[in-house]
Amino acid sequence: MQEATFLILTALAAGSQHGYGIISDVADISGGRVKLLPGTLYTALERLRADGLIGVDREEIVDNRLRRYYRLTPAGEKRLAAEAARLHSHATAAIRRLKLNPAGGAAV
Amino acid sequence: MRQCEPALNISESASLERGYRRLLAFYPRWFRRESEDEILAVLMACAQDEQTRPSFEATSDLLKGAARMRLRPRPGQPRAVFAAVRLMCLGALAELGALLTIIVTAASVAAAGARSHPASVHTAGLHILADLILVPAAIAAWLLLARGVSRRSDPARIGLAAFFGLITMNMLAMLSAGFAHDATAAFAAGAVVWLISFVSLALVFTPASNRYFRRVATPTAHPAG
Repeated sequence: MQEATFLILTALAAGSQHGYGIISDVADISGGRVKLLPGTLYTALERLRADGLIGVDREEIVDNRLRRYYRLTPAGEKRLAAEAARLHSHATAAIRRLKLNPAGGAAV
Repeated sequence: MRQCEPALNISESASLERGYRRLLAFYPRWFRRESEDEILAVLMACAQDEQTRPSFEATSDLLKGAARMRLRPRPGQPRAVFAAVRLMCLGALAELGALLTIIVTAASVAAAGARSHPASVHTAGLHILADLILVPAAIAAWLLLARGVSRRSDPARIGLAAFFGLITMNMLAMLSAGFAHDATAAFAAGAVVWLISFVSLALVFTPASNRYFRRVATPTAHPAG
């Protein structure tokens, strides 16, 4: 799973959000490192919708503009949980091994 | 993150919006119908103070997005139909390659003909002239049929079948005429085009494709999720 996709799913994990909300949230989650642009965001959202990982929660009209809220589907929750567990186990392994390494242990 | 909308006055925002709409025009129609207003709202919300045209970053991001969207099947489109549309675009590309080859080699073919068989120059010239008219017509046919098939038009499928018939007849004519002066390259190009048309035709008439083309009247193409 690409990092942007993982972060988009993470942004939707706690509740539904609209496009601009996802962009702001992804920036927050990544500590400002990942700044999604709208073209990238909507390409990813379309793919995630086609794959059944997210769905449209509701639509609103704000200032004469359409605002669509997206949410995770059960399949999306499962996928995100599996990906998070995978990344977590890799990260834990990396940290444990760095601690075993007498030269680099202090860095962690 | 900052909300920038109030910072734009009306003429700035109208000009910026026009710029974004021009870029969004590169996206496939089904995507625009579904999401253009929504993505435009997000683009406008991300705008900087006094911005009147899309930034370079946003422009390249939208163009990349449009290209990626065009390389994907539209929602509900069977893989076979999507593959057929791509193959048909390849058919147009193959014809374009043939056309360029004809143009580039026309002079040398004519010169070689004049040296070896002065009498045949006239017929060779006529052949080249006919190709210069027929090949662009074939390119147009490929593109029109590809567009029709991708827009789920059943007549486009029938058109493809007819076009396949024409290509097959052309191949048979070429075979029965035997190998003429420049025939090997022309025959190879014809065989490639025939093969492409045969496979595309088979793909648009698979059972899954038949169901897709017959289910025309359903207005909700996208699963609303």
